Amino acid sequence: MKFLLRKTLSMGAVLLIVAFMVFVMIRFSPGDPAAILAGDNATEQQIAAIREAMRLDDPLALQFGHWTSQVVSGDLGTSIFSGEPVLDMILQRIEPTISLTLLTMGFAIVVAVVLGVFAAARAGRTTDRLVMVFSVIGFSVPGFVTAYLLIYVLSVRLGWFPVQGYTPLAEGIGPWLHALVLPGLVLSLTYIALIARITRATMLEVLSEDYIRTARAKGVSPNAVLYGHALRNAGVPIVTIVGLGFSMLIGGVVITETVFNIPGIGRLVIDAITKRDYPIIQGITLLLSAVYVMVNLLVDLSYGLIDPRTRKS
Amino acid sequence: MKLNRRLFMSSAAMAIATPAILRAQASPSAAATLRAVMHADLRSFDPFWTTAYITSYHGSMVYDTLFGTDEAGNVKPQMVDTFSVSDDQLAYRFKLRDGLLFSDGAPVRAADCVASLKRFCARDVVGQLLWPRVKTLRALDDQSFELVLSDFFGLTLETLAKTSSCAFIMREQDAMVDPNEQITEIVGSGPFVFNRDETQMGARYVYDKSPTYVPRSGPASGTTGGKQVYLDRVIWENIGDPQTAMSALIAGEIDYFENPPLDFVGDLAANRDVNLLVSNEVGTCGCYRLNHLHPPFDDVRARQAMLYLVKQAEVMAGAFGLSEYTEETPSLFGNNNPMSNRENIGWFEHGQDFDKAAELFEDAGYDGRPVIILQPTDIPVIGVAAQFAAQWLRKAGVNAELAVSDWGAIVSRRAVKKPPEEGGWNIFPTYTATIGSPILYPGHAAGGDSAWFGWPDNPKQEALRMDWTLAKTQEERQEIARKMQANAWDFVPQVNYGQWQQPAALRSDVSGLLKVPDLVPFWNLRKA
Amino acid sequence: MSYVSTQSPPARPVMTARATRFVRRNPTLVFGATVLSLFIVLALVSPLLVGDVSSLNPLQRLKPMSGEHPLGTDAQGRDLLGRTVYGARVSLAVGCAVAILAITIGVILGLAAGYIPWLETPVMTLMDALMSIPAVLLAISLVSLTSASVGTVIVAITIPEIPRVVRLVRSVVLSVRRQPYVEAAVAGGARTLKILWRHILPATVPPLIVQATYVAASAILIESALSFVGAGTPPDIPSWGNMISESRLYLSRAPMTVFAPGLALALTVLAINLIGDGLRDRLDPRLARRM
Repeated sequence: MKFLLRKTLSMGAVLLIVAFMVFVMIRFSPGDPAAILAGDNATEQQIAAIREAMRLDDPLALQFGHWTSQVVSGDLGTSIFSGEPVLDMILQRIEPTISLTLLTMGFAIVVAVVLGVFAAARAGRTTDRLVMVFSVIGFSVPGFVTAYLLIYVLSVRLGWFPVQGYTPLAEGIGPWLHALVLPGLVLSLTYIALIARITRATMLEVLSEDYIRTARAKGVSPNAVLYGHALRNAGVPIVTIVGLGFSMLIGGVVITETVFNIPGIGRLVIDAITKRDYPIIQGITLLLSAVYVMVNLLVDLSYGLIDPRTRKS
Repeated sequence: MKLNRRLFMSSAAMAIATPAILRAQASPSAAATLRAVMHADLRSFDPFWTTAYITSYHGSMVYDTLFGTDEAGNVKPQMVDTFSVSDDQLAYRFKLRDGLLFSDGAPVRAADCVASLKRFCARDVVGQLLWPRVKTLRALDDQSFELVLSDFFGLTLETLAKTSSCAFIMREQDAMVDPNEQITEIVGSGPFVFNRDETQMGARYVYDKSPTYVPRSGPASGTTGGKQVYLDRVIWENIGDPQTAMSALIAGEIDYFENPPLDFVGDLAANRDVNLLVSNEVGTCGCYRLNHLHPPFDDVRARQAMLYLVKQAEVMAGAFGLSEYTEETPSLFGNNNPMSNRENIGWFEHGQDFDKAAELFEDAGYDGRPVIILQPTDIPVIGVAAQFAAQWLRKAGVNAELAVSDWGAIVSRRAVKKPPEEGGWNIFPTYTATIGSPILYPGHAAGGDSAWFGWPDNPKQEALRMDWTLAKTQEERQEIARKMQANAWDFVPQVNYGQWQQPAALRSDVSGLLKVPDLVPFWNLRKA
Repeated sequence: MSYVSTQSPPARPVMTARATRFVRRNPTLVFGATVLSLFIVLALVSPLLVGDVSSLNPLQRLKPMSGEHPLGTDAQGRDLLGRTVYGARVSLAVGCAVAILAITIGVILGLAAGYIPWLETPVMTLMDALMSIPAVLLAISLVSLTSASVGTVIVAITIPEIPRVVRLVRSVVLSVRRQPYVEAAVAGGARTLKILWRHILPATVPPLIVQATYVAASAILIESALSFVGAGTPPDIPSWGNMISESRLYLSRAPMTVFAPGLALALTVLAINLIGDGLRDRLDPRLARRM
């Protein structure tokens, strides 16, 4: 329990730092949401009037204090451009991002673990090297290049998948999945590479340990050895990477949502950055940090489950 | 209806609970829904508060106007049934058509019109010219109102009929909102109703056919005539990536693409399922705004040098390829406009001349300081124009520097009047679709500090501009326009870098697209 | 390991045998190193080879491969081969600069966090905060919100890379601290700085070298993502990232405009990653757990 308390405190500190960093960063930036909002033919007086009406000229400390107290009470502020509450806008757009992220993670973990184990079992041989090189290739090509290639071949030419857009789950699991195949594939490539490498490396290490050899000597069948004992012990680093890689996944989500025109929060935040819609940028960054922190908390907690040796108390 | 969290949660829950079949019956069939990708994201819903074109497009969907402009450019009544003008053209009386309703069921009254016009004039650039001349604007009864001017204003009805930043009619309660704030409710008497529930800001904007709209009788032309709606629903999809939008159009996932990259319109046209249509034959004109406040362009000779540096064909080719939709324009007012003319274009006929430009810079006393050109990363044509400007200036011996940022940062920086080395600028490339009008394009103003970015200062030009608004005939206006251009190419407020038309691409089963220069009309459209 | 006899046999055959063994044992490392060296050479030599890469020349746009333009031209009429070669400079420079910067700052912070007790919590919390913001997002924000220049891009990419380095260094410091020889040095009264320099820092070098390669590879990729969103290096300086981004519209019409920089980028990143893997396998396979 002390562990949990410590963790919660550090989580809180992390979020506060993130909030502060983001706030400072965007407030000191060039670019004026009032001017953007007013349009190209507006005059200076018009823009100044808008700034005043939106209270964009209040002292920074006041703005920050106001915002943090809002956040703590669950109100992420209101978008400068649309006037809608940020939290509502996020909730409206979160389904596509969650769908894409979870699907990608699930797919990537399964494929990567299988690949990693496969490669570890044939360590040093050509198959191993090929598998690893292929996964590294997935890691080395920029996501949007793969995306355009896949769209061109599979959507425009062959017509197997939609070019863009997102189909909500409410319209049926089939269409929902269908529209997510290409974006999920593109997004998962990097993740697969990352997880496969770790899986292979830790499996190799574990497989050479004494107790594995003992199990083999005892006559336990090869597959059972691999998946039963070794994988369990390799679980910790794999799960760690899943947690740490989550941040990278979100980065990829931003690009993927732009290319495939998926109305998720990745695109929402990119648009907000271009428009200097401060409350949205702040709200989403804070949200993503909170999720990241949560995911890693879960990862930490799961250590106890996967590997009893790591349980402290 | 402001979207709030509880409402969303309950509707979301309902959406998931309702079987898909039932939901399909509730929403319009695919055949009667048109999906369009517009040139920009709709960020603001108040057409009086922002000058953004896309908001005006939105306005034309949900609101209606007292007068409209037909395809030939004539002003015709739209919401107005009959009207009278006094002989001295100072007093106007308008009577509204019968049966006009707002989408909330309330009838359109003269009081709504009066309040809307007041709010319109508070912010609109032409409205601000009209308003000081307004002596009386009041409702006479529920259906009639009068407008009395103290001085003659040659464009009164044209102002009410204009197709960009239009004089939309809102409900009185919306029109009473302070012009410096945005309206919060979107209720109009136009052919469509804005569906706020299904709209997702930044992703898609949904418009349903208005059940209460009463079209005029007669065929539709421009923004006049009977605005019949043959679609059940129009959805604006915000697909930012042009590659994705083109692929989507080819695949049939969208029906209308407003701004396909000019480079690719040939490919699209070759596709059997896609047609091209140019709505705005005048097109867009690109211009370099020069900063008159600071050296070197505070000296007229340096500005004249720019006339000998710009090669419009190069910019157009660089931005759009060798396209039939681009052209060079020597006129201050662009080509294909009623105001276009060929006064004082010796520089254009002379052509690009680096030596002459270098000479002029020397005469102007250019001291080698950096000339800062604003370059956006996210607007291709302006980015190319900026790069060319730098290239040419360097060939003429000028120390050109590109200040690269996204458009949002440029929008802030262009307003800075400080010296370039302190955060200002020397050249700001941009473009406009209204260059043909001395008043609609703010860049034609030459009032110094109060003018548009660049702040050109030339009292003679300003006087001519004011004369233009008071002209009584088109011939008079054209004569003044010729004088304005003759003056302009002497003192050089800005330099143009080319003119281009933007064809829209639509699926071949979409028909009935009317040609309106400054907006995309979704009435009269049919989807086979 | 062969021994050298006193009779000095001819040197060459011995070296070739060792070399061959090396290549056979570490094919990926050798492949990666070869490819990367090729690109480095190109990058260094390019100013001499390449002509004008910046001038816009619309009349020459999208020309196919020819004698004058071996890979054709891009949408602005610029020579594609020249730009791709030149792009090696920018992309590699960005990768290098980010790696060096991130490692340097990361080492300082990591040593501080690992060795000085009262600094550990604040530094690591700060690092956690940085890690929780997606790198691409942070980089885009930093560039969009300041200005677009190569310097800004480098700083923007470096900042999200620092936490991983710090974590790595810190964990090395923690494990080395407990070694008997370090404890002996502390007991002997040696100054902190000396201990750090002589005992702890050397232990961090092998994993740092490996990490540096990953950081460089990641930096080059993130730069291309930034260019895609419009927050990368300014357009008149060709980097593979902005070349791909500018040309993506022409993928079907002139695929070489995307493939030339794309392939170059992928190969370079791949090479760097493979070198990293190879080094890691040689230096300490145990490192794989922490990567």
